[in-house]
Amino acid sequence: MSVVWQQSTHGVPRRQERLNQVTTRAIVVGALIATVLVGSYLALGALNVRLSREVWSLHAELATRQREISRLEIEIARLSSIPVLQERSVALGFAPAESIEFIELGAP
Amino acid sequence: MLRGPEARLRLVSGLLMLALLPVLGRLVLLQIIERPQWDAEVETLVQRSYALPVPPSGVITDRNDALLVGNQPIYDVGAEVALISDKLAAARELAPLLGRDVQDLLEDLEIEGYRWWPLAWGVGGEAAVQLETLKAERYYWLTLEPKWRRYYPEGTLACHALGFVNAQGYGFGVEAAQQRFLRPQPFERTGVVDVVSNPFPEELAQGGLRAYPGTDLKLTIDRTIQAFVEGELARAIAEYGAYGGNILVIDPRTGAILAMASSPTYEPGNYGQYSEAQRHLFVDPIISVPYEPGSVFKVITVAAALDSGTVGRDWSYYDNGAVEYGGVVIRNSDRQAHGYQNLQGVIDRSLNVGVATLSTRHMGADLFFKYVRDFGFGRKTGIDLTGEVAGLVRLPTDWDWTDSSLATVPFGQGIAVTPLQMATAVSALANHGTMMAPYVVAERHYPDGRVVTTPVRTLGQPISRATADHVAELMGNYVANRLENAQVPGYRVAGKTGTAQIPVSGGYDPVNVMTSFVGFGPLPDPELLILVNIDRPQNPVHLRWGTQTAAPLFQRVASRLFVLLGIPPMELVASE
Repeated sequence: MSVVWQQSTHGVPRRQERLNQVTTRAIVVGALIATVLVGSYLALGALNVRLSREVWSLHAELATRQREISRLEIEIARLSSIPVLQERSVALGFAPAESIEFIELGAP
Repeated sequence: MLRGPEARLRLVSGLLMLALLPVLGRLVLLQIIERPQWDAEVETLVQRSYALPVPPSGVITDRNDALLVGNQPIYDVGAEVALISDKLAAARELAPLLGRDVQDLLEDLEIEGYRWWPLAWGVGGEAAVQLETLKAERYYWLTLEPKWRRYYPEGTLACHALGFVNAQGYGFGVEAAQQRFLRPQPFERTGVVDVVSNPFPEELAQGGLRAYPGTDLKLTIDRTIQAFVEGELARAIAEYGAYGGNILVIDPRTGAILAMASSPTYEPGNYGQYSEAQRHLFVDPIISVPYEPGSVFKVITVAAALDSGTVGRDWSYYDNGAVEYGGVVIRNSDRQAHGYQNLQGVIDRSLNVGVATLSTRHMGADLFFKYVRDFGFGRKTGIDLTGEVAGLVRLPTDWDWTDSSLATVPFGQGIAVTPLQMATAVSALANHGTMMAPYVVAERHYPDGRVVTTPVRTLGQPISRATADHVAELMGNYVANRLENAQVPGYRVAGKTGTAQIPVSGGYDPVNVMTSFVGFGPLPDPELLILVNIDRPQNPVHLRWGTQTAAPLFQRVASRLFVLLGIPPMELVASE
C-alpha cells in the first residue's frame, strides 16, 4: 500500500484525508464507464471515418461507371445512326422497295 | 518556517499550481477570448468547397428510344510539369492523343515557374481511354478533369428541333426550351476538407450527398421519318435549285410532331465553329420565320365562310376575273375570268376573286378576322421549343389596318404566319374541327424513375365538325380530280397548293416565290398532316408553282410515310 493510503506511520496517525471505500469504488467505476464511453466513441468515430471514405469512393466509382455507360451509349448510338445503317445496308445490297404490298392475314 | 513534510508538500503543490497558472491563462486566451479569430483562421485553412463529380445532363431520344442527343465524357488535360522526368518521351507519346504538335507540347511541358500547366481541353473518345490508362500506369503527373459534352450521333438530323445551349445558357430548340429539365443538379458544399479536398467524415455524415443527373426527354419525333423527310427535302431543293425549304409532319389527332425538317441545316454539336454571319442557320424557320402563306390560306377562308353561316354549301358566284375592295383590285392568278363558280371551283382553280368575294361581300372584317384569330394566326401555338414567334396579323382595330387587308388576307397576302401556325390551323380541318396544340416532348423520364407523359392539349375548335369535314372533302376532291402529282396511290388525301409572292422593300419580288402544299390523309380520318414549303425555287419560271414543286414533294413524302407508319391503303380498310 502506498504511503498516501497509510492511516498511521510508526503508530503516529496522519491528518491526511481518508478516502473511504465507497468513494474509491465510485471513482473506479466512473473511470471504467468513462473509458468504455470514450472507447465506444472512438470506435464509432473510426467506423464513421471508414464508412464515409467508402461512401465517398463509391460515389467516385459511380461517376466513373456513369462515364463508361455514357461512352458506350454514344458509341452504340453512333454505330446505329441512320448514315451508318444506310451505308451498311447499301453495302449488304439492300435497296428501297419499288412497290409495297399489304397482305391480309386470315384468322389463325 | 516550513516545518514538517506537510508544509513542504503544500509549498510544492502551491508552486506547481503557480506554474500551471500561465498555461491556464493561455488556454483561456486561446479558447475563450481569441476563439473567434482562431476559428476563422482554421476555417480558411480547412474549409473549402468540395463536390461530387458532375453528373450528366438528360439525354434526348426519339419516340422509339433512339438516341438523338447524348453525353460524351471528355477530359480537360493538364500536367504537374515539375514531376515529369522524361519530357521529350512524354510529349511524343501524348501529342497524338491530345491532337497537338510534339514540339508545341514539349514547350508546354518544359515551362518554367509553374507546378501545373494545362495541355488540352475536351479530349474524348478513344484518346480519353488511352489517357486514363497512361495515367494509371506511368504518367501519374497527368491531371484529367472529367467533363461532359453534348453529343449528336445523327449529326445534323433534326438540328433545328434539337438545338443546343451555349456556355451562357442561351440556345435554340428543345435543348434550350427544356434546359430546366435537362440540366443536372451537381452536388457542391463548403466544409472541412483534407489536403486533397476530400471532405472530412463529419461533413459526409451530414448526409444529402447526392448529385442528380438531368431528366431524360423522349420526343414525338421519329428518327426514321425525320431522316427520310430531310432526304426528300434536300433532293427537292437540289432539283429545283431552291434557296431552302421546310417540311412539317404532324399527327393532327394529337398535335404530336413526327418530323420537322428545315434546310439549310447546321451541326448543333459544333455550333461554336459557325461564324457570326452563319448564325442565322440556328434559327428554326418552322417556328421563327413568318412568311406570307399564299393560296394555302384559301381553305381557311372557305372554312370560315361556311362555318359562319354567311354562305351555304351550295354558294356560287359569278367570277368576272376581278373584284375591287378598299382601293385595290384583286385578280385571279391566271388573270382570267371563270364565270359561275362554287366553293369546289374556288379551291380547284385557286380563285383569288372567289375568296375575296367571300370575305368582302359576305363576311365583313370583324367576322373574318375573328376566324383568323380563332385559327391561331397572330399568336404563338405554345410549342415546347425556343424562339417561336407570333407572326403578323393586322386586325380592324389596329392603327395600321387598311381596308384592302380584308380582300388580300383571304388568299394569304398581307398576313405573316409561321409554317407551324399554318399546319396547326389546317390540322383543325383534318381533325374534324378541333385544333390540337403542337408539341415535341412526349415524355420526361426523371432520375428517380418517374415518367411524366405530356398531356394532349387542344387549342380550340375554330369551326364545327361538319364544316371541317366538308372542307376536307372539298380539298380531297381537288387532289383526286385535279392534282395528280399530289395523289398517293391507295390512299385518299386532301390538300391545297400555294404559290406566294415574297414581300420585298416597296412591294413584291417580281421573280421569286415561295411554293407550298399542305395536305393530310388518309380521308376520312387523317392520321398525318404534311406541310411543304420550298423557298424561291429556281426552276423555269412557268414551273414555279406549288403544283409543280411542292405537290410532288408532298406526294413522295406521304407515299412513304403511310407505309412507314403502317397505315393500310383504302381497299384494305374497305375489305375489313
